[in-house]
Amino acid sequence: LARTLSRRSASLMQLVYGKPSTELDNDNSKEDSSDEEFFIPKGQKKQAQNELPSFDDIDAEDYSKFFKSELRDWSSGDLVESIRDRFVTGDWLKASLRGHEID
Amino acid sequence: MGRDKTRRLSGSRHFRQRMVLATLTSTPVTIVDIRADGTPGLRDHEVSLLRLLDKISDHSDIEINETGTKLRYKPGVIIGGKDLEHDCGLQRGIGYFLEPLILLGLFGRSPLSIRLKGITNDTKDPSVDTFRMVTLHMLKHFGVPLEGLELKIESRGAPPLGGGEVLLRVPNINSTLTAVNWVDEGMVKRIRGVTFSTRVSPQIENRILYAARGLFNKFIPDVHIFTDHRSGASGGRSAGYGVSVVAETTTGCLISADATVSHTNVDELSTESEKPELMSPEDLGEQVASMLLEEVAQGGVVDSTHQGLLFMLCALCPPDVSKVRVGQLTPYAIETLRNIRDFLDVKFIIKPDPNSNTVTLKCVGAGVKNLARKIS
Repeated sequence: LARTLSRRSASLMQLVYGKPSTELDNDNSKEDSSDEEFFIPKGQKKQAQNELPSFDDIDAEDYSKFFKSELRDWSSGDLVESIRDRFVTGDWLKASLRGHEID
Repeated sequence: MGRDKTRRLSGSRHFRQRMVLATLTSTPVTIVDIRADGTPGLRDHEVSLLRLLDKISDHSDIEINETGTKLRYKPGVIIGGKDLEHDCGLQRGIGYFLEPLILLGLFGRSPLSIRLKGITNDTKDPSVDTFRMVTLHMLKHFGVPLEGLELKIESRGAPPLGGGEVLLRVPNINSTLTAVNWVDEGMVKRIRGVTFSTRVSPQIENRILYAARGLFNKFIPDVHIFTDHRSGASGGRSAGYGVSVVAETTTGCLISADATVSHTNVDELSTESEKPELMSPEDLGEQVASMLLEEVAQGGVVDSTHQGLLFMLCALCPPDVSKVRVGQLTPYAIETLRNIRDFLDVKFIIKPDPNSNTVTLKCVGAGVKNLARKIS
């Protein structure tokens, strides 16, 4: 588990900041390669673009609101149960565990 | 902080953040290739934002070329000031302008108080209610005093014609923010909210409320949604209705969602303003409730809309470790992180937490000080 955890954390950093080698570039070379920097390694690229359609669009609209493409039906029983413990009416013990798992 | 080198950027994306970061770090920027294909140049709302920047700062220098595809911006000193006024136009909601304004306002020479006119609630930007109930309260975690921090909704305006007016007051901070350790999202203890309607029957609000409460009551009984019906002059110039809801947790985190229904934007108004089918109040209520539950399910100390602002605030903190927890990173938040790295040289350590499907981020702040205040 520890290994997958560290790998996932590395890939998340990579997703956000690009490859480690490019981040040390100075400003001059950034000018030319400012776009390349946003590309991510081949294997990940496809997946990432599915998730983030506007990933490389330099003229993307400036929205801070995030639109979920579809909303799940929250009246269904399973979903209700899935976040039951996030409310004070749920199980406090389980919820208190949740915060500490990270340490 | 000041680097005398001009930064060259291209494209219009993340225009607001780039402008804010450039101003706070006193870095001149040049942006080229703004919408080079399609309809070129800056949009009205972007130009409006530049005007606003010019209004609240001194000695700033903005140059735009003829087609609007190239912009040179040399930031000045943020002055703030009283009784300012700005017309936000009708392309984007007031929410678009509020986000950069509160950040800049904090680092001004004197407290900022400004009257903004335009669209108060729309679908693209966070509504003014969300702002009042959530965004302003986020600042107190960073050591900003709540007094002097205020957003007053004088009148509402729905798209397409707007006509809303809000009064924003932001205090300036003494020197720096304070770093946060904000990882416990707690449990939702109550849900609050407000519905609004302009130029439609006030009954509609009850229908929204009823539908939203239906979903919430499955989880928690403490649901209170206020209504705010506006008619006459304070109702703006267009018909519309909407709702903003906030889930408050035991640890004081606020998680929000909002939505608005109204006729679509300015371009389509002339020909087919009455044509498009509008969402019914019941559907709207249910949609917003689902959105909020979705946010709660995500986890994190803020909702997805506020991730970007949260990271900005963390990065602006003094050189001290800040730690925050959010749900899944949004594309906007990812872009924010990149912009922060580019301008402030702050990199976050991003760690996923598989057990709760959240992400924790740690950073050492850049120690941005309120330099404007020191001079005076």
